[in-house]
Amino acid sequence: MGLFDKLAAWLGLKKEVNVLCLGLDNSGKTTIINQLKPSNAQAQDIVPTIGFSIEKFKTSSLSFTVFDMSGQGRYRNLWEHYYKEGQAIIFVIDSADKLRMVVAKEELDTLLNHPDIKHRRIPILFFANKMDVRDALSSVKVSQLLCLENIKDKPWHICATNALKGEGLQEGVDWLQDQIKTMKT
Amino acid sequence: MFSVYSWVLLFQIHISQHSGRLFPDPSGDGGKWLDAHYDPVAGLYTFSSCVDLADLSGDGESRLVAGDLGCGASAMKLKVYRGTALMSESALLDLPSGLVAFFMDLHQPRIPAVAVASGPCIYVYKNLRPYFKFTLPGLEVNALEQDVWQQVREGQIDQLTLKEMLEGIRRKADVPLSVRSLHFLSLETNEMDQFIQLHKQQPIRRQTVITVIGTLKKSTADEDGVSCLVIGTESCDVYVLDPEAFIILSKMSLPSVPTLMDVTGQFDVEFRITVACRNGNIYILRRESDKPKYCIELSSHPVGLVRVAKNVVVGCTDESLQGFTQKGKKLWRTLVPAPITTMASMDLPTRGFQAVLVGLANCEVHLYRDKNLLSSIKTPDAVTSVCFGRYGREDGALIMTTRGGGLMVKILKRTATFDERDSAPGPPPAQSVRLNVPKKTKLYVDQTLRERENGTAMHRAFQMDLSRMRLAAAKAYVKALESSMAPVSSSAAEPLKVNAVVQGLGPSFKLTLNIQNTAAARPVLNLAVSFLYDEKLYRVRTPYLRVPLLVPGLVYPLQTFVECTSDKGVSDIIKVFVLREGRSAPLLTAHINMPVSEGLPLA
Repeated sequence: MGLFDKLAAWLGLKKEVNVLCLGLDNSGKTTIINQLKPSNAQAQDIVPTIGFSIEKFKTSSLSFTVFDMSGQGRYRNLWEHYYKEGQAIIFVIDSADKLRMVVAKEELDTLLNHPDIKHRRIPILFFANKMDVRDALSSVKVSQLLCLENIKDKPWHICATNALKGEGLQEGVDWLQDQIKTMKT
Repeated sequence: MFSVYSWVLLFQIHISQHSGRLFPDPSGDGGKWLDAHYDPVAGLYTFSSCVDLADLSGDGESRLVAGDLGCGASAMKLKVYRGTALMSESALLDLPSGLVAFFMDLHQPRIPAVAVASGPCIYVYKNLRPYFKFTLPGLEVNALEQDVWQQVREGQIDQLTLKEMLEGIRRKADVPLSVRSLHFLSLETNEMDQFIQLHKQQPIRRQTVITVIGTLKKSTADEDGVSCLVIGTESCDVYVLDPEAFIILSKMSLPSVPTLMDVTGQFDVEFRITVACRNGNIYILRRESDKPKYCIELSSHPVGLVRVAKNVVVGCTDESLQGFTQKGKKLWRTLVPAPITTMASMDLPTRGFQAVLVGLANCEVHLYRDKNLLSSIKTPDAVTSVCFGRYGREDGALIMTTRGGGLMVKILKRTATFDERDSAPGPPPAQSVRLNVPKKTKLYVDQTLRERENGTAMHRAFQMDLSRMRLAAAKAYVKALESSMAPVSSSAAEPLKVNAVVQGLGPSFKLTLNIQNTAAARPVLNLAVSFLYDEKLYRVRTPYLRVPLLVPGLVYPLQTFVECTSDKGVSDIIKVFVLREGRSAPLLTAHINMPVSEGLPLA
């Protein structure tokens, strides 16, 4: 960390990072972002996102601006317009929805093969959400089904989460923060 | 002239189109579907009429409801699938003939009920629990039959008399016998007594059986509007039932037993019931009449009936797919490669896409829009039921069950597009494309006008020039013959033929003259061959050759060597004369076009 960064951190000025939050509808993207916000700014009711919404939250050293994209089929073609701006991607998967795992894989493959993403070393954080649901798949099984081992040129990390309670989120965000910091320096 | 050219061009286009069609897409569905789930041993044996998709819990997630007909050991069941798992199953009393999910009331949350038709009854389930049973009214019973059974009860007649009388009634009566009497007639003599003792106290009833079931919106076209049930029966009737009170709102009769049905519209406004019947006809019923309004007579029996917008698509046993308007006018007919097992409509309102899914016996599912095949899906087993709609949270889910009891779910890719590919034989589309023909120039128009006005004069001038040319050619030929400049001599004394062959690349060539006497019997004597050439260019080793006696018919090869002395790469003609000794005029002449010497002359 350079001298200026140290100074900035000491002054409380944090570096801005743009993050895209993607995933199928009903996977829990908005709930996760809501959990990451400070408790006084959290919303009580989460409704399906229309189009997208922009949320901000801070960690120990970074200030995140999250593009919370709608996951509904008809809005998924909006995603690619924000790929250029994103410096990191959070991909949320409903690990209880076995049927649509193929759809999540299809959308992930489309994302990874997009020209704006393909040749960038952009960190991707996977949240295998809804791990509290009774017959949810484990994060290992999810990464198998999505063939995550084939992602060779980008740093990625998967963690099982329960967005309703906030379990597992902090681990993922810490990883993302480390990745962004190493990427910068 | 131009038109001939354009036809040739079109023909070529036609050919290239055909050759392109010989190699279709080998992958089948062209990567349009995602394989979400396949369980080959799901043990779900059902048909398209017994499958429906509905949000049975009101949580925005659609479930698959299927009436399982069972197979051997496994019994008939009502099964509900959620995602990839079987969520619940409950036993059915009788074979299901149809299953629909429908909204029967206006209560919140909006949860549909499931109606299962089996035998003469409809079993209605709410929240997957039995809720109501509706039984169709009994049919009129034959009075004579009733009398006969009355006498049996009073012990007036014995079983053999009963059998005789019932057989008499069966042969003559307008009203058919009840199931009980028919069962009695099929029994052996020793079983009859027991059967009579068991059944004689009960009154005779004649029941019909439901063959098809459908839904009809009551007063609004909303997705979650209250629907009436529409049922077709073995007694050739169609009933519309009120969803709340389960009373018969309307009764219509058909000339035959309905087997397939499609319902559209609203009961209170206007509706249309399209029914395919067992006599091979399709009848269209409307709101205002209790008799069919239109009739479509098919050439073979229908096996599938699907409505696409306002048209009806029918699959028949003769492996054909036919399209009709809602008034019964035939629009098109196309052949499918195998017998049709089932059909379903594929409706994607968000993309404005409507097509027909056709399950075939050769383990394929074809997708047709009108008569054009859009895509085909290969399946591991022959498909018995096809259903397309919202399943789970996915709008474009295709659910198929196979003959072996397998369950398959495919999801339409978000990016999939179906391009209209005209598979019908006939003129290719390129034929109707206008060619970019240049405009007629002034010169062209002037010439055409001139040709039209002076046609006769032009023809005469042409004929005259042609005659002159022929005359000039004949004169030249005669001259050549007279001066023996031709390689063939036709004189009576020495009929000869000569041809020459030059071999080699140069500078040395081998010259072979083949001389033949063409006379019938007379040999030719005393001939010689000499050459005339440019001495600056060529040197002939033996410029004078004596020809031996020429026996008629044989070919005599005479050989000599010619050397090209120039290295300029030029060539010339060598003239060959065949002479008779003692005469200066040649008998015949051959001109040899020498090839260019490709080698360098020896120093």
